[in-house]
Amino acid sequence: MIFFYLLSGLFLGWSLGANSTGNVFGAAVATRMVRFKTAALIVSIFIFLGAVLEGSGPVGTLGRLGSVDALGGAFTVSLAAALSIFVIVRMGIPVSTSQTVVGAIIGWNFFAGKVMDFHSLITVFGSWIFAFVLAALIAFVLFFIFRAMLNRSKIHLLEQDMLTRYALVVVGAFAAFSLGANNIANVVGVFVPVTPFKPLNIAGLFILEPVTQLYIIGAISVVVGVYTYGHKLVYTVGKDIFQLSPVTALAVLLAQAIVLFLFASRGLHNFLVSLGLPTFPLVSISFTHLTIGAVMGIALAKGGKNVNYRILARISVSWIAAPVMAFLLSFILLFVMQNVFEQKVHEGLKYVFNRHTLAEITRKGYDINALSTVNGRTFDREQTIFNELNTQGHYQRDELIDIIRITEIYPMEVNTKLLTAKGLHKGFTRSQWESLLELEGKKYRHKWQLKAALVSHEAWLLHESPQNEQQKNHNRGIQSKLELLYRSFYTPQKKEIRRLATLH
Amino acid sequence: MRPQQIIAKNGDKNMALLKTTRFVGAQIDNFLDLVSDSATLFQLGMEDYLLGRISQFEERLDQIREVENKADDLRITAERYLYEHTLIPENRGDVLAILENTDEVVDNIKDSLMNFSIEMPVIPEDLHDLWMQTTKASVAAVEHLVMAVRSFFRDIAAVNNYIHKVYFFEREADQLGEKLRRLIFAMDDDLSHKIQLRYCALHIERISDYAQNVCDRLAIYTIKRQL
Repeated sequence: MIFFYLLSGLFLGWSLGANSTGNVFGAAVATRMVRFKTAALIVSIFIFLGAVLEGSGPVGTLGRLGSVDALGGAFTVSLAAALSIFVIVRMGIPVSTSQTVVGAIIGWNFFAGKVMDFHSLITVFGSWIFAFVLAALIAFVLFFIFRAMLNRSKIHLLEQDMLTRYALVVVGAFAAFSLGANNIANVVGVFVPVTPFKPLNIAGLFILEPVTQLYIIGAISVVVGVYTYGHKLVYTVGKDIFQLSPVTALAVLLAQAIVLFLFASRGLHNFLVSLGLPTFPLVSISFTHLTIGAVMGIALAKGGKNVNYRILARISVSWIAAPVMAFLLSFILLFVMQNVFEQKVHEGLKYVFNRHTLAEITRKGYDINALSTVNGRTFDREQTIFNELNTQGHYQRDELIDIIRITEIYPMEVNTKLLTAKGLHKGFTRSQWESLLELEGKKYRHKWQLKAALVSHEAWLLHESPQNEQQKNHNRGIQSKLELLYRSFYTPQKKEIRRLATLH
Repeated sequence: MRPQQIIAKNGDKNMALLKTTRFVGAQIDNFLDLVSDSATLFQLGMEDYLLGRISQFEERLDQIREVENKADDLRITAERYLYEHTLIPENRGDVLAILENTDEVVDNIKDSLMNFSIEMPVIPEDLHDLWMQTTKASVAAVEHLVMAVRSFFRDIAAVNNYIHKVYFFEREADQLGEKLRRLIFAMDDDLSHKIQLRYCALHIERISDYAQNVCDRLAIYTIKRQL
């Protein structure tokens, strides 16, 4: 069954691939500097390498789909996103994969009655505009820098052509690598804790971990997308919006790579943090928005004439349409999956207000007097608790989300063998792993209980109120490892849930 | 070694991009050198003819013939490489047009000198000075055309300066040519001789007209080439 579920992830990978060639090499192919075949080959190789070598590593792989807690739900969410992207790509319009996936996840959140985290949503929408404007600005500046350089260097047209060609290939490869590294989690991230593969011994030379195998399959689906459908979008980016020249095509690609590197590279972020320098905020950036933004930056630098506003309008509309379509499709498909095919699309978690959870809520510093109306009760939808407590007006939205998370029943059993079998153990430090081994076989009913057991060890220490980027970064790393543990150790036991629900 | 032989020796498509780029760049530079040479040879040939050094004049004509053949070969090789190796895809059509039109200037120079060799017109001594001035104006137009084309490849900002010079010398050649024709028809001579001299004078003027035509296109291609 897992293999069937995996199909929708691969479909999403395919649509990512179909989108990618145009975004990375659209301008280069349209100006005939790089042939489509060459572009497809470079994109395929480097997306593959980026996904397999860098692909967020075994830890923190859950990516955006992480919050979707049932495999059936993940399948449906991926399917809804992939279908939406497919429809838009068929019209020859590039669309943001990440944001379409977010649209589909919001659909799942609504269906599962989860309380929406508006902060992340605003960040995502903000990055939408931010990426576009920033890429346009950088491309605009690069245009004038390139022009001044070319005028000063007096380089021969043929040599300029050759250098531009090499630069396009190198920067394109770098961009494809980053794309693979950043996006593979969208494609197969959700399947990491449930990967069906066994470690594969390659001719006695090295062992291919199950997670790596999963990434390889995901990357292959992206490559298939590049080859089968990539040509559809190549000319939209490089020719239809605005006629680019080879050098301006390079400016577009370089602008994309710079923004991607500055704002999405954890490596650079960590490097700046280690030097004690101010850092760029790490935000989720859409490659498609970077591309179109950079093309617009060049068009503006050239006086804003000859821009095909009709196509630009179509692209803008589709950027809103794709996530909305994914949201609706996700909601409808989840309904069909659950009620027609009788598949579990969300875990159906329970939320209980008993002495344990109330004690934890108190420990976190919240006033529990306002919880008297819910004390002793069990809920099966986050939204119900939220609505009930929200009307009382005692808590802020963020505080309510925090309280709900504490009450969530999420039975887990520490099983390090499970992590080893899937190759996930490599993401932990030696001392982290040792502290995990100490907890072997122990059972927990709430996520915060496992967290409390772990953070007492120095290796898992979280900074209470992080003062600087280094501490924030450390916390983010620990948090993503904890998320992986929750998901991996989850042991749904209906009887247990029922027993716990009545116990208070 | 002739360019065709060079192509065969280098094994065409197996050439690395850097090698190909340098090779084609050198072909274009050599081609432009030959265009410039042909203009200088034309001026020297004209001087020889007016001073009655006919055997030396015939040698100049042979040299121009050779230059024209070489220029053709270089142009064809460069064009072939541009298309076979997809070099400068955005500009190769323009470069092709520039090279072909510049080559026509060389053809015209050869035709003009050959015309003198065949018809051997008798040019009265009174006309020698003006005849030479017209020739020099046309040759200057061609030489500035060569500089304009070189700048198109290396220094786009300078192209318009040279184009301006070409237009200047073309006008100069036109004015001098007109003066020359007026003098020819004011002479007390046979109409047939006057018509022959007019035809030869027009040939000299036409060289600068060809240079101007190339510049008309070059001006547009320069706008296209700007970033």
